[in-house]
Amino acid sequence: MQGIIQWATQAVIGLVVGLRSTWRTLLEPKITVLYPLQRVNVSPRWHGLLALPIDPETGNDRCIICFQCERICPDRCIHIEAEGKGKERYLTRFDIEIDKCCYCGLCVEVCPTEAIVFVPHYETSTYNRARLLYSLSDLHQAAPKEPIARGVVGGVRG
Amino acid sequence: MALRTEELILNMGPQHPSTHGVLRLIVTLDGENITEVHPDIGYLHSSVEKMLEHRTFAQGIALTDRGMDYLTALANEEVYILAVERLAGIEVPERARYIRTILLELQRIASHLLWLGTFGIDLGAFTAFLWCMRERERVMDLFEAVTGGRLHHVYFRIGGVYEDLPEGWTDRVLEFCDYFLQRLPEYDELLTGNPIFKVRTQGVGVLPREVAIAMGASGPVGRASGVAYDVRKADPYEVYDRVEFDIPVYTEGDCYARYLVRMEEMRQSVRIIRQCIAQLPGGSIRARVPLSLRPPKGEVYVHTESPRGDLGIYMVSDGSEKPYRVKIRAPSFSNLYALTEMMRGWKVADVIAILGSVDIVLSDVDR
Repeated sequence: MQGIIQWATQAVIGLVVGLRSTWRTLLEPKITVLYPLQRVNVSPRWHGLLALPIDPETGNDRCIICFQCERICPDRCIHIEAEGKGKERYLTRFDIEIDKCCYCGLCVEVCPTEAIVFVPHYETSTYNRARLLYSLSDLHQAAPKEPIARGVVGGVRG
Repeated sequence: MALRTEELILNMGPQHPSTHGVLRLIVTLDGENITEVHPDIGYLHSSVEKMLEHRTFAQGIALTDRGMDYLTALANEEVYILAVERLAGIEVPERARYIRTILLELQRIASHLLWLGTFGIDLGAFTAFLWCMRERERVMDLFEAVTGGRLHHVYFRIGGVYEDLPEGWTDRVLEFCDYFLQRLPEYDELLTGNPIFKVRTQGVGVLPREVAIAMGASGPVGRASGVAYDVRKADPYEVYDRVEFDIPVYTEGDCYARYLVRMEEMRQSVRIIRQCIAQLPGGSIRARVPLSLRPPKGEVYVHTESPRGDLGIYMVSDGSEKPYRVKIRAPSFSNLYALTEMMRGWKVADVIAILGSVDIVLSDVDR
């Protein structure tokens, strides 16, 4: 009987000690955010949506059609087709199946001209699966309008 | 005349809220006492070993992140690239090795925090879960600043790391270390000294030392049973031989000992991180490695200490740009089968406490 009383008092003390911490935390500033209204800033290296930014000097993207990103992609979600020969070559198709994409960033790493980059955007969900196929114009639009500083989106390579 | 009783077979899972992931436990009950436990696995099989045979060595890094233990992505990347580097004989720059060690220890803290939170929930302490998430969020932010990902990083590369640390990041890590050590006593107030928590865990689910060795239990589960084995000490990789740290060992082998081991490991991880940042050298972060790496013919076995235990990888190369065979030795798998020994003779209510204390991730078990 004495043992039970002793244990019960210990349990009550344990609860009081625990609740003291709980109350102390209740008075601390809140750390949660109301998501759709408030947003958390993501890091500049964020693996978000992929994009082909427009180079302001040429008015076109920087892709040189070397197919390196298509080859390195572990999920094979990049599809590139081109027409013409030599310097006249131009893209006819640059599709990314973003639903297959695992955001590993290997395509960004291998790109010799930083034509394909990550943009810090993370709300890509949609109700229609067909909209997850990103065509060339989608990828142009996804890119930020102002020129991208090296190291902010593309990342500096060692 | 004795009353005739029958044994009852109870299926727990795979969709039971208190099993961690999609684990099905077939529990044979005599009244409320457990006579036998049979874990049924395979619900999360992703065939990562076979898929790695169809990826080049560089592509495989992205796969190890999610195909294996998804809560310790960096530890998976580490063991994979270590295997490739030893196979190809690549020398990694000093700075990259320090960066890797810092990130691996942060990963250990993040993983243990998530375990602590869910273990608290299993035993009815909801506050601890929210607090652990609060601390883990800060580790995730640190990861995000370096790797760009929160759970799946793809940051380690064969021969180094992808990018250098951002400016001021080490100061943020040191700040986190101070903050984290201030917060840890709160968990002691909530759980360690709580008599209710102690009654639920002390002496429950004892795994004797001999059984732990026979079952191949490693990591915190093994160390709580008195097996003083840590790959970081026994077979050092990266810079673990240059930093000072202790491995906590308890001999009780119960749920409470497993809890104490993990709590102490988080403190030791902070110690390692601080030493690594103090010693962090400058210089290159990545050795020159061709993109289509073709390691010479041969085989290699590499093991590391992931937050869950001894994580090993066996890799065979036939000289092409893809591995010929990859076999992963997952710590959760061995630890899961130690459950059958731990649970025998305990009550149904203790199943959850014992299962929670083992800290398994089903993605790691099934692979």
